[in-house]
Amino acid sequence: MSTSPSRRDLLRLTGSGLGLVGLSRVLADQPDADPLAPKAPHFAPKAKHVIHLFLNGAPSHVDSFDHKPELAKYHGQPYPGGNLRTERKTGSLMQSPFEFAPSGASGIPLSEIFPHLATVIDKCLVINSMHTDVPFHEPSLFMFNCGQRIAGHPSYGSWLTYGLGTENRNLPGFVVLCPGYPVVGPQLWTSAYLPGIYQGAYIRNTEVEPDKLVPFLRNPSLSVDAQRTQLELLGKLNSLHLERQGPAPQLEATIQAMEVAFRMQSEATDAFDVRLEPDRTRERYGDGDFARGCLIARRLVERGVRVVQVYYGNMQPWDTHDDIQRMRKLAATSDRAMASLIEDLDACGLLDETIVLIGGEFGRTPTVEIAGVTKLHAGRDHNNHGFSVLVAGGGFRQGVRYGSTDEFGFKAVENRVHVRDLHATMLYQLGIDHERLTYRHSGRDFRLTDVEGEVKTDLLA
Amino acid sequence: MPAMGSCGPFARSRTGGRIVGTCLMARSALLVMVAWLWLPAATAQGGADFFEASVRPLLAEKCFACHTQTKMGGLEMVSREALLRGGQSGPAVEPLAPERSLLIRAVRYDHETLRMPPTERLTDEEVAVLTKWVDDGVVWPDSAQTAAETVDGEFAITDQHRAFWAFRPVEQSGLPPGEGAPIDRFVDAALREAGIPKAPRADRRTLVRRVFYDLLGLPPSPDEMEEFLAAESPDAFAALVDRLLASPRYGERWGRHWLDVARYSDDRLNSTQDEAYPNAWRYRDWVIRAFNDDMPFNLFVKAQLAADQLLPEETGAWSREDLMPGLGMFGLSPKFQDDRIDVTGRGFLALTIGCAQCHDHKFDPIPTKDYYALLGVFNSSEVREHPLAPEAVVKAYREGKQRLDEAEQRLEAFLETQSKQLVDALAAQTSDYVLAAWRVAGPDGATVADAAAERELDGETLQRWVAYLDGWPKQHPLLDRWKQLVADAGSEGGVEDFAAGVQAEVLALITEKKRIDRENDIRLRGDHSGRNIRRTALLALPRDDFYLWNDVASPNSRDLPTPAKSGILYYRGAALERFLSGVWQQHVARARREVERLEDALPPKYPFLHALSDKSAVANEHVHIRGSAENLGDEVPRRFLRILSSGEPPAFQSGSGRLDLARAIASPGNPLTARVMVNRIWLHHFGRGLVGTPSNFGMMGERPSHPRLLDYLAGRFMDGGWSVKALHREILLTDVYQRAAADIPASRAVDPENRLLWRANRRRLDAESMLDSMLYLAGRLSLSAGGPPRQWDEQIRRPRAVYGFVSRRRLDVRLGLFDFPNPNRTSPRRFGTNTPLQGLFFLNSPLLMEQASALAERLGSEVGPDAAQRIRRGYRLVFGRLPTEAELALNREFVTGSQDAWPRLVQAWFSSNEFRYVN
Repeated sequence: MSTSPSRRDLLRLTGSGLGLVGLSRVLADQPDADPLAPKAPHFAPKAKHVIHLFLNGAPSHVDSFDHKPELAKYHGQPYPGGNLRTERKTGSLMQSPFEFAPSGASGIPLSEIFPHLATVIDKCLVINSMHTDVPFHEPSLFMFNCGQRIAGHPSYGSWLTYGLGTENRNLPGFVVLCPGYPVVGPQLWTSAYLPGIYQGAYIRNTEVEPDKLVPFLRNPSLSVDAQRTQLELLGKLNSLHLERQGPAPQLEATIQAMEVAFRMQSEATDAFDVRLEPDRTRERYGDGDFARGCLIARRLVERGVRVVQVYYGNMQPWDTHDDIQRMRKLAATSDRAMASLIEDLDACGLLDETIVLIGGEFGRTPTVEIAGVTKLHAGRDHNNHGFSVLVAGGGFRQGVRYGSTDEFGFKAVENRVHVRDLHATMLYQLGIDHERLTYRHSGRDFRLTDVEGEVKTDLLA
Repeated sequence: MPAMGSCGPFARSRTGGRIVGTCLMARSALLVMVAWLWLPAATAQGGADFFEASVRPLLAEKCFACHTQTKMGGLEMVSREALLRGGQSGPAVEPLAPERSLLIRAVRYDHETLRMPPTERLTDEEVAVLTKWVDDGVVWPDSAQTAAETVDGEFAITDQHRAFWAFRPVEQSGLPPGEGAPIDRFVDAALREAGIPKAPRADRRTLVRRVFYDLLGLPPSPDEMEEFLAAESPDAFAALVDRLLASPRYGERWGRHWLDVARYSDDRLNSTQDEAYPNAWRYRDWVIRAFNDDMPFNLFVKAQLAADQLLPEETGAWSREDLMPGLGMFGLSPKFQDDRIDVTGRGFLALTIGCAQCHDHKFDPIPTKDYYALLGVFNSSEVREHPLAPEAVVKAYREGKQRLDEAEQRLEAFLETQSKQLVDALAAQTSDYVLAAWRVAGPDGATVADAAAERELDGETLQRWVAYLDGWPKQHPLLDRWKQLVADAGSEGGVEDFAAGVQAEVLALITEKKRIDRENDIRLRGDHSGRNIRRTALLALPRDDFYLWNDVASPNSRDLPTPAKSGILYYRGAALERFLSGVWQQHVARARREVERLEDALPPKYPFLHALSDKSAVANEHVHIRGSAENLGDEVPRRFLRILSSGEPPAFQSGSGRLDLARAIASPGNPLTARVMVNRIWLHHFGRGLVGTPSNFGMMGERPSHPRLLDYLAGRFMDGGWSVKALHREILLTDVYQRAAADIPASRAVDPENRLLWRANRRRLDAESMLDSMLYLAGRLSLSAGGPPRQWDEQIRRPRAVYGFVSRRRLDVRLGLFDFPNPNRTSPRRFGTNTPLQGLFFLNSPLLMEQASALAERLGSEVGPDAAQRIRRGYRLVFGRLPTEAELALNREFVTGSQDAWPRLVQAWFSSNEFRYVN
């Protein structure tokens, strides 16, 4: 018969590298265990962290990462065979207003609006053959974040912290940065039916001062010394209580959590404080919430945070129905930060173990949108049939274009990668078999990829 | 805290093996086995029960994935015969001879080559279950099937399905031998069989604190505590229970438990903005009141599904109007998804009917047609406003609102016409404005006022032109010329030509835009609905032209360097009225007065319920093959679940069928509804249900730890008129409820999860109890009940947390931190996570610190300056006892010499385990 291991036993086991997978139910509903303690994956991982730079609203791939020379040639002509179904009515093919040029040693053509990303393109895998299920924001945001088209399922960040725990117990394992809310909002980083501890810690990154970023991080009036004496008293009262109670792992765990919280005050303050970065570094990332978010993401991953998601902005800024040239401004406020992040992670050796994912919830049509809701016909509609993402680091291939859309960029045709395939492959790099990371809920085992998803080893170095 | 039906992060879904060793399923199997031992000696039925309770779940979990349809190694584990037949390696079992059975050797890993499951050994407990099963003769009830059996392509419900514990009729088979309350006799019998000692009775202080939190979610006051301790009568505890059950605070506590199931929220999940349900709280208050009034649970169920249709003879002391708010359970659905069947199934019946949306249920006898039978019911119903005001009031409001809307539209339409005409008029003067702008921006450097006066132009319009030409990254190539002119200071001439050119362009664009708008209106056939607009190809100006038109003539052009949020020539509001005179001006003034008058006359919107009501046309659903709405199968009559009906369930007759559905769910012949509710009640009293998966009584749920007790309680519940309070009373007045939380190593060794209830479970305060208690002790809790939800940061004195705003879109950070369930899905029970972020709340939350200060002040004012007195008083309030000498000394030391240490001291009490946990 087994008895519940004490918290100390658990920590000792972790320390000895045995990991916790062999122990039962290292879950929040067994409060004597630490649900966020690092857990051994299914197999040796290549990567440990994920940084997801979410260009919410869906950037146009044919104006960024998927160069289609044929579009210029057949500008104004109809797409052969009739347009695929998207959200709104679209018309003829529309060329990109941007120039493309081969970048880096790999010569991957990139749009002129991303000059800085071009300098790190040799570190990136460009997946041109992504596809997802439907051309609507909400279901596609759910798909990209939670692996399902509807609300009520855990986000991949929650799955990862549930499966792997996190390395730095003085920080949340899964952090989400956005100045306000993207469309849909907190349901995108929900833990749903997983215990609440795995939910993304949402940080409103409009502020610079850390204690305004993290809830309850700083005491409004007490000094650290006053707090320490208070905590000492609390510790003594708790031990007297514990003595009377007999063995009580859950009480011990609560005591531990309080101690970690005390340490977290300084650790998290440092982690979120971009003012501690040299001026030169901050200049390299540029101004604005997103740029600061990228910098915070780097600082968090350096400290062992498992998953960081940075949303470009509130609502859906990349949703360029009217005028694709708005991407110029959007790129100008994100290009430097994204490139600097990749550069910095590479320089400090963290890129190898960090999957940096850049992209939106789907792509945009190569045809011009002509539905009446647009005021002018210079934009593109949603496109779930084909789009692109960039992946840097984490053991993914580098300096390569993978898969392709048709010659106009409407539909992924070669080496298609569904969002669930990407999820499965990311999990694989993190040492997780996506079919085995499950949770029993409502009578069956659920998983991130539902009953689909395939590990695309072709994406991996 | 007890475990949920979850198996650790690396449970295996496909191959059936599992890495985690001591998963719940295995342990519970053993304990169920232990619990079974006191039953009458093994019979055929006993063997079948053991198979269903322990063996089948294990096989389903570990073996079926590869050894049913897939038949790996030729072995198909679907029946006793199939096992005897075996696979490529020969027969899998030899009944009564586990040592010679391949199955047993394979799972023991002592066969030379065959080791099953291949990826992960079974635990010793699991192996023991299988060994016992083979030793007992491999009882596999005749027609037991692992998956849906079909007859002519139809899912067939077999006797074996009906024999599954959850679907059997509630059985009243007499009490186990022994003494004491019936509940204790069931529990004690299982403990005796397991041979484990139970904890003594809890001391009276512990018991009082426990029962206060349990029933009210608040601590006892020192007076209440002392009163009970002083009571000599043996019935003192019973009297206390009665008093607590009569408190209005009881419904606030127990109503909230139901609201978790009902996924109650004050808003809908909307993708882009908050959208509150203005009257959601009426459902919340109704639930609280229903518990306080001890509404029979069967009526409570029926009201939530069909209050609008119940007949007077089935509503008891309640009128239909009393029951109408209950429809909020479905009227307040998240809407983002269809969860109505999920909440009906899991909430009332603990069945995962939602699993049958795309295929017949994989484990339970729920054919996909059952899902669509229920979907037909819900799709024949709609959410409709149910006014709570006399018809005359409603009519007056609606008419008044319509008059107001019409008056506003008329005024709006008139002003819109004036704005457009003004654009035309000013556009015709563009050349003059550009030349005047040149006087300002060019070498002359004239003021705007002078330049406007010279040409008799409108000053504000000229100001806009100047700002626009000067400050804006030009969106039209034509305007690039302006920069050049300014740079050259006009030395080259050409200003007049430029001005004339701009005017010609602007006029042409405005004309073209009007033509396009007319053409588009024809293309839309006058239908400007969003849906039509999205699907219609329309015309638009070329990009550059559009921006110029937008800058000059659009009603809403953002980001211009002019203060107006419209195009240069576009005026609205007071700015427009500047240009109006005479009859026009009089008309606008009069129309505006009319709007104001109608606004003043409009009464506030009448209260209403978010109720469910039948559609005018009700219809059956077709099966969606594999869940796809584009691939329709057979039509399914609206009817109840087959497994809960005898024979083919009759089609529902009245309207949508909600009333029939409600009656079927609440029928005493349905064994699930009562079992599910008594199990929920048990869960909240003990921290764990008799069935550990309160919203799933199916195959993949847990088996009851005390099946006979569950049925005893379900029977009592129904016989007692579905009275929840009577059930509380019976449960609370038992030894098992009143046990101490004390540890007994011997018992813990056998039953570490306390499934046999040898002691009380120590439980952490949930979010509401914790927040309420702090406010209550600080004297800041307002016990006024009900009404619209309060925002969390609103006022110093707050109502109980159950009255706070619950958001699906953005849950309050404190609730989220302390395991409040996600209100987008029905929630069977709360997690008890333990995180450092919670620690930060105790260290730094202003809310908590405010309450600590308030309680510190209260201590001072109640007992004066003496530190020891204050500490004693504080202990009695917060912990319900006096401090020990050691504690007194520690606390005194902390506050000695520092008056401002008191709030910090109280904060430490609030952060302490003794406060946060209830024994």
